[in-house]
Amino acid sequence: MNVRSPLHSLQGRLLIASVLILPIVLLIAGLALSNAYNYSVENAVKDRLQLQVYLLLGAVELKEDHIIFPERLQEPRYEQVNSGLYAAIHDKNGKLLWRSLSSILLDDPKLSEVISLGGITTGEPLFEHKPDAGIFSFQLRIIWENKGEEHSFLFTVMESDELVTRDITAYEQQLSIWLGIIFLVALLAQTFILSWGLTPLRRLARDLKAIESGEADKLGGHYPDEVQPVTENLNELIESERKQRERYRNTLGDLAHSLKTPLAVMRGAELEEHELHTYQTLVAEQVERMDQIVQYQLTRAVKSHHKPLGKSVNVTPIINRMLSALGKVYRNKAVLTDVDLADDLLFHGDERDLMEVLGNIMENAFKYGNSRVKVSGTHINGELKLSICDDGPGVTPDMRQVILQRGERLDTSIQGQGIGLSVATDIISCYQGAIEVKDSPLGGTCFVIRFPD
Amino acid sequence: MKLLVVEDDPDLRRQLVTALGSNNYTVEESADGEEALYMGEEYPYDLAIVDLGLPKVSGIDVIKGWRAAGKEFPIIILTARGDWQDKVEGLEAGADDYLVKPFHMEELTARLNALLRRAAGHSKPVLEFGPIKIDTTGRVVYRHDEAVKLTSYEYRTFEYLVLNAGKTISKSELTEHLYHQDFDRDSNVLEVFVRRLRQKLDPNQDLDPITTVRGLGYRFALSASKDSE
Repeated sequence: MNVRSPLHSLQGRLLIASVLILPIVLLIAGLALSNAYNYSVENAVKDRLQLQVYLLLGAVELKEDHIIFPERLQEPRYEQVNSGLYAAIHDKNGKLLWRSLSSILLDDPKLSEVISLGGITTGEPLFEHKPDAGIFSFQLRIIWENKGEEHSFLFTVMESDELVTRDITAYEQQLSIWLGIIFLVALLAQTFILSWGLTPLRRLARDLKAIESGEADKLGGHYPDEVQPVTENLNELIESERKQRERYRNTLGDLAHSLKTPLAVMRGAELEEHELHTYQTLVAEQVERMDQIVQYQLTRAVKSHHKPLGKSVNVTPIINRMLSALGKVYRNKAVLTDVDLADDLLFHGDERDLMEVLGNIMENAFKYGNSRVKVSGTHINGELKLSICDDGPGVTPDMRQVILQRGERLDTSIQGQGIGLSVATDIISCYQGAIEVKDSPLGGTCFVIRFPD
Repeated sequence: MKLLVVEDDPDLRRQLVTALGSNNYTVEESADGEEALYMGEEYPYDLAIVDLGLPKVSGIDVIKGWRAAGKEFPIIILTARGDWQDKVEGLEAGADDYLVKPFHMEELTARLNALLRRAAGHSKPVLEFGPIKIDTTGRVVYRHDEAVKLTSYEYRTFEYLVLNAGKTISKSELTEHLYHQDFDRDSNVLEVFVRRLRQKLDPNQDLDPITTVRGLGYRFALSASKDSE
């Protein structure tokens, strides 16, 4: 089985992008939330420890050069070993003057590691979290004046971070769970939205499949505004393709049918008694007939029969090419050509069709004109008007309609005449254009062709 | 006049060669574009008939190749599709005329006659040089309006000289344009033709239509009557 990469589907692409980008967004959001929470929790601890330092300051008294503590401190946790709240007071030399009962079991190295004795300026408190020691500390250096002597003391209050850490961990767990839920919900929602949003495209694919399998002949129903132009163009394309196919089929049918008649005549002649000369004449006649049929049907089937979307051809270079080509073929006649074309004449259609129309009509002008051919072109009232005039014998009014019809030949001595004009007429009518035969100011015939834009 | 027929369909090619041969042309043939390109560049043809749909190298490219190599002989293209795009492209590539298949042999000979005359600077099919008249369509020569009975090779020799009137044509050039490549160039058959032509066209020896330029060749010496230009 042919396994298709998910990158081949719009939905797959969008989902893969979401799966890659959404976790990054959620991770950043989670970090921001967790940081904010940490900050607010630590701030609360700081406030609490600051309050404890102030309470200690209020509780102690300075006598001579040493500190006197009351019997009992207000905060019971100082009296309880390993309560999680500890306090200590050092003098300016870093000598421990007092430590709370609760800190008895804390070993000295740990304490001295936590307590920064130096580097603390008087009056500027230092709040620190030492995760290795599992401790928050708040330290304040103060100077007391007693009888003209300054005594510096360092007050330290510490709190175990165990509770806070547990709190934060719990918060982060919750946060992760919720972010995970958001991720899943977002993905599900997106899958649903995409699937719903892309439904018209899937329907389009299904409808096209139906056309392909012959169950439908066009894209029906109403599509969203973004898709509607596509389906309209597709319908137009399908329709023109269908017409083209039909035309090929008809042409082939016509061709087979109309070729069989001359073939039957010739086969019949095989059995009849003929002089060589009459047999030759008969074959020649039937060959001529078949040639005309093939030429007519081929040109009719090949030409595009509808306006290609947005395609247009510049008329002037095509006319100039035709004139130089015909000038070469009819060099002996030394035909004087007079070209009068407006600037930027555009033909909205297939170049081959225009060449076929112009070729057939211009060749007639060269063939039947005596010495002058005038080609003029204008674009007025939303139509392209081309006229090709010669100074030949002209066409009588009663023959004008006849020569535009299929297979009519006014002059059977010149090969190829008749079919060309009817092919041109046919192509022009496919473009909803018109062709007219008029008297020429040069004295002969004027063919006037109009193509609407 | 030596023609090259380039057509890949063997039946049509055979018909063309036979028909043109019986019209007093020396005809050589090629079935594909590559060979045609080579032949046209190597041998002196007076005209080529080229089918557009050829194997190996397309007819259009063959024509372009010849023109690029400086070959100026007239070219008639044969096209089966017959749409104008093909015709115009062929003419733009360097062809001088076109015919749509199927065509009448008469149509083809008329067109190629016109092209050969045009290449020689004449526009009318009948050329007049004083009492001598040559009808290039009917391929008949008249003397004082009386048809002169010429053999095929005599006519070819005379026509080539007439279409190159005023120019001295060497024997080897005449041979190249009148005979197939395998013709024995040392034979004096040309001298025989020219002698017979002189006898038939100028029995009284007062015109001297063909002069011998010693060591160089022959020259058709009469000048055209005004209205046959």
